[in-house]
Amino acid sequence: MEDLLELAEYGCEIAKKEGAEFVDAVAHRGRNISVGIERNFIKHGNVSTYSGMSIRAFVKGGMGFASISGLKKEEILNLAKKASVLAKNAQPDPDFVALPSPPESYPVVEGLFDEGIQGIDAGKLVEYLRRIIEEARSVNRDVVVNGGTGLHYSETAIVNSAGIHAGMRSSVIHISASATIRMGDEVGTFFDFDNARRLSDFNPAGIGVNATRMAMKFLGARHIRGGIMPVIFGPLSGLNIFRTLCYNANAEDIQRNRSYLLGKKGEQIASEVVTIVDDPLIPGGMNSSPYDGEGFPHTKLTVVERGVLKTWLHNSYTANKGKEKNTGHSTRGGISPTNVIVVPGRKTERELISEIKDGIYVAMGDISPNRITGDISATIDWGFKIENGEIAYPVKNVMIGMHMLDFLKNIDAISSDYREEPGAIMPAVRVQNVKIAGGA
Amino acid sequence: MKDILEAIRDRAKEKGLDFMDIRFVEKDSTSIQLQDGKADRVFYGRSAGIGIRVILNGAWGFATTDRITLENARECLALAVSMAEASRERGSTVNVTRVSPVIDTVKAKSGIDPRLVSFEEKMERVVMLESEARKVSPDKISNTILGYGDSWCREIVCNSFGTLVESESVRTHISITVVAKDGTLRQSASEHEAIQGGFELIRNLSPQDFSIKAAKRAIALLSAKRAPSGVFPCILHPDIVGLFVHEALGHNAEADSVMAGVSILEGKIGQKIASELITIVDDPTVEGLWGSYKYDSEGVPGKRKVLVENGVLKEYMHSLETACKFKSEPNGSARAQDFNCRPIVRMSNTSILGGNHSYEELIKSIEHGILLSKGLGGYVDPTKGQFTFRAGEGWFIRKGEIAEQIRDVSMSGILLETLKDIDGVSTEYVPDTLKGGMCGKGGQMMYVGAGGPYVRVKKLIIGGQE
Repeated sequence: MEDLLELAEYGCEIAKKEGAEFVDAVAHRGRNISVGIERNFIKHGNVSTYSGMSIRAFVKGGMGFASISGLKKEEILNLAKKASVLAKNAQPDPDFVALPSPPESYPVVEGLFDEGIQGIDAGKLVEYLRRIIEEARSVNRDVVVNGGTGLHYSETAIVNSAGIHAGMRSSVIHISASATIRMGDEVGTFFDFDNARRLSDFNPAGIGVNATRMAMKFLGARHIRGGIMPVIFGPLSGLNIFRTLCYNANAEDIQRNRSYLLGKKGEQIASEVVTIVDDPLIPGGMNSSPYDGEGFPHTKLTVVERGVLKTWLHNSYTANKGKEKNTGHSTRGGISPTNVIVVPGRKTERELISEIKDGIYVAMGDISPNRITGDISATIDWGFKIENGEIAYPVKNVMIGMHMLDFLKNIDAISSDYREEPGAIMPAVRVQNVKIAGGA
Repeated sequence: MKDILEAIRDRAKEKGLDFMDIRFVEKDSTSIQLQDGKADRVFYGRSAGIGIRVILNGAWGFATTDRITLENARECLALAVSMAEASRERGSTVNVTRVSPVIDTVKAKSGIDPRLVSFEEKMERVVMLESEARKVSPDKISNTILGYGDSWCREIVCNSFGTLVESESVRTHISITVVAKDGTLRQSASEHEAIQGGFELIRNLSPQDFSIKAAKRAIALLSAKRAPSGVFPCILHPDIVGLFVHEALGHNAEADSVMAGVSILEGKIGQKIASELITIVDDPTVEGLWGSYKYDSEGVPGKRKVLVENGVLKEYMHSLETACKFKSEPNGSARAQDFNCRPIVRMSNTSILGGNHSYEELIKSIEHGILLSKGLGGYVDPTKGQFTFRAGEGWFIRKGEIAEQIRDVSMSGILLETLKDIDGVSTEYVPDTLKGGMCGKGGQMMYVGAGGPYVRVKKLIIGGQE
């Protein structure tokens, strides 16, 4: 880590000497190892060793960004010069004020790096996959399994001209499997996954079984008639609604006058059952870290409280421009939420389904509103019809058309039970009066 | 560099590997971002490295490094071998089709090499183009974003069959998104231009055909109606047909998806899968198109492929591995995003060929339907063949005439149903409407083009709000 910090510092110094008023430099290196399955067989093993540096230089607010692969000192020298020249060539931006200054201290976030993951070899990854294939075939001998598993570990150092000087080690292990079942012309598919920052949180058992059982349930999908009906978004799709909302609450889009959330801060944008917290400090969370992409310390942030939009997500640029507090959501090129947590409700998912006479259950997928207009127009790729309080049969070619603000206000329940992944709790979400288009 | 690649190949041969290839890729790119009149963000990127693939005991091993010395390349080869050893599997044997070696060097054909154009000229042109958009209606336009980019790439492929191919390419692209507002209503429109070529794209680009056009479209959308919900006969503009043929048919015809058992077109070669009005080609040999290339990332010459002919599925797109599996001729469709990515089967420029009706005839034939235009992206689940794509704008068609405009909306269909529901294809044909298309697959992005004629479909599901 020390050498990465030194190289980043060197890059910063050169860029400053070349005339940059503000500079930050990020140096990184790491390794990815992965193994893939194709049609129930282990197919390929990959290993990738990488390193690189990127430098942002600012002159009168204009930004030059330069990046390279590799960490040769003579190339870093040229890179730093290049970033400064680009910054001088860029047009000035009076809204740029400064890069973040060093904090008194950074929060301590446990569980971001596990040497146990670094110690896993390709042979162990192959074992995980073999188990998944066996599991899947124990449910259905004809299942086709594709997918893979992998790990990566890395070190990253950030240094800026205001005095930030920080480094972090990170590890991730992940596995995913898709199951396909065919019966004549009918096809059922589903997917499951597990991922973790530390080995103790990694539990791939059951993925093959879940994916295969669910794939079988999607055989015999039917076209349905459209209408206005309640929709339940299950654990693999409900959280996406709130992640998307947090992405849409980025201050850059607001300041640039291109968001359906303009003017909505402090207003009731969702029903009272919705409270959303962005928490980058969860131990072992997939999106946890002590600081953001610019080295600004992370804190926990309530984004929506009982349906009221409380804040925008900021980086240093938008916070200075808007004269608001930096929330620490910089990706060093944009703004992004971290671990999005939604507060669970009082009824179980089972109870929420049982209260629906005629509706839809979404097992996996996203509603993806247009971030400028807020219009939702999305296909339900893995959906079931709910009839008389029970999941009845799979559906195909069903679409949702609605405005995001109407959609959020129509959320009438969030389940009390949920799936849990590192840095995420994933409950079911029920939305009333959703406009559905069907092909029957 | 070639001496390092050849030395590693010779070393691999000594190890008795079934197959190996080594690729060196280096890239240089520059981009400028303008927002609301300020070109205040400028980017430069450079990357270089090698990737080595081996087949040993019927399994693939792949290793990459960005440290380009003979010693590191040797270490990389050893890692690739160890990964193949770890991935060895009883009952499954990977193999590739043996091809005649190719030795060639392909230089980039760019009119004006963007690396030789002064930064000042680049800035001046893009600032002018963006400012023209805002002039259209300073009161109504609330945000503009213009992105300019040029890139240069050199890829050298060396394999154990004796192939040694060096390919160089230059690409230039520009895009603009304009957001217009009226009270609290906001609408946006984008325009893109892209070529495999140089700065001549920008020098020849008039604001009327680009930024002013985007601004006028965004303002027009403020008066457009919300899209309807339900099932409608549709005319698809070539903009959408490009997306449709790429997402819905193209991905299913990639032989690696077929091999993995996740394509709806598995086992359908020689069968009628579409209306006989439909012929679909994938062609990387058209000079200057965004998705074109002479050699793929396995050093195999790219070929024009007729995927569907008069409704009959004729051919899949192949890598050396899938060609071996399906006992087909390799057709040069394996492409890798970078040195650290495995070559996988990809499309190049995919299009439905033109037909016999005029655009006017197609519109006149519809009593009550929708014309959809301006593709904004899409995706397909190849296993089920269910696709979704988004149109940036559309119009009602009433009694054979274009009527009210509608806002952006997505549509959905099932591939094998929709292909048979096509009952009209226009003579008007545009080879690439994606203009700067980037296709994502297996974690890799790739340059692709797609286009076609106007197409009439008996029914599609429209996911609107009315």
